[in-house]
Amino acid sequence: MTNTPKSPELRVIDHATCTFCGCVCDDIKLHTDGNRVHKAERACVLGKAWFLNHTAERAYPDAIVDGREASLDEAIEVAAELLYQADMPLIYGLSNTTCEAQRECVALADAISGIVDSHTSL
Amino acid sequence: MGGKVTCTLGEVKNRADFIVYWGGNPAECHPRHFTKYTIMQKSRFLPRGRKDRTMVLVDIRETKSVKAADIFLQVRPGKDFELITVLRAMIKDQPVDDSAIAEIGLQRSDLEDLVARMKRAKFGVMFFGMGLSMTRGKHMNSAALLTLAAEMNAFTKFVAMPMRGHGNVTGADVVMRWQTGYPFGVSYHRGYPRYNPGEFSTVDVLVRGDTDCVFVLGADPGATMPQPAIEHLKRVPTIVLDPHVTHTSRLANVHITTAPAGIAAAGTAYRMDEIALPLRPAIDSPYPSDFEVVRRIHEAIRQKPDWRVRSPWIERQLDAAH
Repeated sequence: MTNTPKSPELRVIDHATCTFCGCVCDDIKLHTDGNRVHKAERACVLGKAWFLNHTAERAYPDAIVDGREASLDEAIEVAAELLYQADMPLIYGLSNTTCEAQRECVALADAISGIVDSHTSL
Repeated sequence: MGGKVTCTLGEVKNRADFIVYWGGNPAECHPRHFTKYTIMQKSRFLPRGRKDRTMVLVDIRETKSVKAADIFLQVRPGKDFELITVLRAMIKDQPVDDSAIAEIGLQRSDLEDLVARMKRAKFGVMFFGMGLSMTRGKHMNSAALLTLAAEMNAFTKFVAMPMRGHGNVTGADVVMRWQTGYPFGVSYHRGYPRYNPGEFSTVDVLVRGDTDCVFVLGADPGATMPQPAIEHLKRVPTIVLDPHVTHTSRLANVHITTAPAGIAAAGTAYRMDEIALPLRPAIDSPYPSDFEVVRRIHEAIRQKPDWRVRSPWIERQLDAAH
């Protein structure tokens, strides 16, 4: 996969929020060039690993459908058809994501008459 | 867990002079919990910080958190519920049999000392982790501890709070409570939300083979769930949204790469005390956010004819609404 070169302009993000653990520390100072985080001030060992290990690199294909690379549009169509055809779909996870996505998942469960469940039930 | 006796971490930081960690290892799993919120902070009400606070650790083995604790109580594995029950009796001065205390693996003097300290505290807080809520007794243990916290309020201010892991899992509880009235394990099969852990909780649904399509995001059940559940995941069509190709992605029909929340995707996340915090992304990801992808899948489904069977009553309500 190729790197997506961005302007190497450094930015400092004050009061960034770390979502690695349930503490959700919101006092992190991130030094970033848009491609990766160079420094995560005030973050703990877990938070540092969390911020420094993600990059803007295209490390994976946009989507994979039945073992082959696919476009996002195609994958969305296939996913929608699978969920639409299902009699008893299950939506699970919702931990490592935003409240906005969680809300949309509940709406989706309503639309397909499915189950929606999170890590809490484990 | 709506209705629990709890508070915010800000209140803990400013007021809690008695802190119990039960079945958790914050030193390694929530490294900044001590310094930001609980034992180390100085405040108007606790000006000497650590010296004004007492910390008790209850666990089945010595972890790195023991070093930070004033008192460590090593409970016999699987006996947390028994210990909570004994404490609930002792705070009310009810007689407790020696055999009940021996079963827990502690001394009566330890428990008498603990109860005295709990009652002397001005503001007590009990944080409970997965060592309590995911071992024998499970949610019954959590319920018992929350009851103990509630009952302690006959003597002094006391609260309890779960130590949530996994980023925004608290947000999932809050959003589902807001949208459906229930925190997790919600079914829309009848067209309205129903809640029944054990029936609609994921592991049970998968192990029974009760679902014919699974949509996973923000989790990796292929790496964490029991084998019979994973076997069913392999049998049915599975769709995964994740910033990485995960174990679950490898056994799924559809994987869509998304931007990691909080690092490349904006939005909101809830802290363990149910405080909503904005995310400030630092990276320009080439991938869409989870929200964007779920919204587009939802939109694609909305374009298809609605097959849902509704009761005549709901049909009438919908007709009236149009």
